[in-house]
Amino acid sequence: MIRTEGLRKNCGEVPAVGGISFTAPDGAITGLLGPNGAGKTTSLRMIYGLMKPDAGRIEVDGVAVLENPQAAQSRMGVLPDVAGLYPRLTAREHIHYFGRLQGLSGDEVERRAEHWIDMLDMRSFADRRAAGFSHGERTRVALARALVHEPQNVLLDEPTNGLDVMSTRTIRDLIRRLKEEKRCVLFSSHVMQEVAALCDRIVVIAGGRIAADSTPEELLAVTGKTTLEDAFVALVGQAPAHFV
Amino acid sequence: MNLRHVLTVCRKELSDGFRDRRALLSVLIGALISPLLMGVLFNRLAVEQRSSREISVPIIGRQYAPILVEWLEQQNGVETVEGPADPEDAVRTRKVEFVLIIAKDFPEKFRESRPAPIQIVADSTRQSGRAKLQRLRTLLTRFSAETGSLRLIARGISPGIASVLRMEDIEVSSAQQRAALIFNIFPMFLVLAAFMAGMQIATDSTAGERERGSLEPLLVTPVRRGELVAGKWAAAVVSAAVGITMSLFITSGITLSIPLEDLGFRVRFSAFDGLVLLAALFPMVLLGPAIQVYFASFAKSFKEAQSYMGLLILVPMLPGIMTAFVPLGNRPWMVPIPLLGQYSLATDIMSGRTPSVFSLLLAATSATALALFFVALTTRLFSKEKIIFGR
Repeated sequence: MIRTEGLRKNCGEVPAVGGISFTAPDGAITGLLGPNGAGKTTSLRMIYGLMKPDAGRIEVDGVAVLENPQAAQSRMGVLPDVAGLYPRLTAREHIHYFGRLQGLSGDEVERRAEHWIDMLDMRSFADRRAAGFSHGERTRVALARALVHEPQNVLLDEPTNGLDVMSTRTIRDLIRRLKEEKRCVLFSSHVMQEVAALCDRIVVIAGGRIAADSTPEELLAVTGKTTLEDAFVALVGQAPAHFV
Repeated sequence: MNLRHVLTVCRKELSDGFRDRRALLSVLIGALISPLLMGVLFNRLAVEQRSSREISVPIIGRQYAPILVEWLEQQNGVETVEGPADPEDAVRTRKVEFVLIIAKDFPEKFRESRPAPIQIVADSTRQSGRAKLQRLRTLLTRFSAETGSLRLIARGISPGIASVLRMEDIEVSSAQQRAALIFNIFPMFLVLAAFMAGMQIATDSTAGERERGSLEPLLVTPVRRGELVAGKWAAAVVSAAVGITMSLFITSGITLSIPLEDLGFRVRFSAFDGLVLLAALFPMVLLGPAIQVYFASFAKSFKEAQSYMGLLILVPMLPGIMTAFVPLGNRPWMVPIPLLGQYSLATDIMSGRTPSVFSLLLAATSATALALFFVALTTRLFSKEKIIFGR
């Protein structure tokens, strides 16, 4: 479970996030929805402990991220918006490296790597070096290494961005599976259909603030629109372009 | 600090680095600079030394001074040949290095015990023949002095009267010390090899990591910044250690194959001295990569980092050049100063003196402390959002 309270962050003089509070519960998929530059990535970066908020509180399974980042990070699996690979390492070696850094033993690392190679359909390129990988292959490797320690909380920053249908489907299946395993999934997107298809809860962010936090059905009801896209446009349009 | 994390990072960077052809190449080139240059240097010296002892003197008008020609030919390593028709042109066009011309009136003047004229045609701007020319001059001066003494004795006068000064050169520097002057460059090349070998891994694991965007996922794992930086530094240190050891071994092999004894150098450089030298220079294997990792971490891209590395390569050369050409000597105050201390100890070792354990430890401690300081600075860099996200 991920809880944030009053997260604030200024990037230089410009406010990027201005007071974000929400809860992403276990066994549910929470979508962070917002236009480009709304503060989704900045919020996620604060949650996974690489950016220090100017104010606010973040708890992951009850562990405070600010006070105890290492313990909190070991409970999270993160796919950042830029997830580069090492061109001279094979897909399998990527998973091994991150597994060991997560404190898994040698045998355990091997076993988990096998598991993820099957799960993400990576068998055909598992032992090839990453230099020539397609975007879909790279994203799968990045996902596998992020989830190798089977974390309770999974944070994905626009995971399906730029992927083809097959890869997108693999990732959606994975997200649903994680939910079935009672994990907490938090992912950001600006693709409406994806959020509508997957999410149990939608947190709409616009201009660094939360414009809505509800189920997709409630979202339609509140805005009085018939499609999620119209609801989104209505919500984002209402939000102040900038706040003080 | 979790040592397992450090080892995991170090192992990954090493296996990643040694799959990189550029990394292998820079280790190899770094290790080969020293043996190649030392080999060329000593070979040149050997050739010059040998050839200056053996001179061939072109003489014009040898029939006028058979005594002198005969005396010259009796000297060790001297042969005389017929001089060229146009001596000045022959010297100018470098057909010969010099020509000795004996004047027509030599026999007459010689007989009358008056100064007999000879001429040496030579080009003083030429470096190559200088040693030979010097030898010829010395021989002619000796002939002049010896004959002069005989004339005085024949007249019942002590030859000492004509000699106001009795000059004698006393060579103070031992052959070992003269060899050390050349050997002084050797430690610098070894440190250079370490810098070259550490460079690629230091840049690829920091600036490369930033450029690829693999730093962010890495920092989300429970590995601490200090462990991460220590692992990357350790990988660069291993590479630098491989480089310096290779360089030492190859250079030793090449130097041993050159007959340095022929040059008048008594080289007593044992395997033990080699180990002591390696131990004295080893702190540079720690410090070099620490500095490289720090500066490379500022760079957003591999290319940018490499331009910093190009400048850092100059660092080991500055004091090296100074001690080689302006002998700073070995002052005690140098020992605790990183780099200067290592070179000063190395100079001692190269000239056959084994430094005390205390001075070795003192130099190692200060250089290692500086290396750790740079590692700590780099760790602080990796906590900055500008470094993590600034791409």
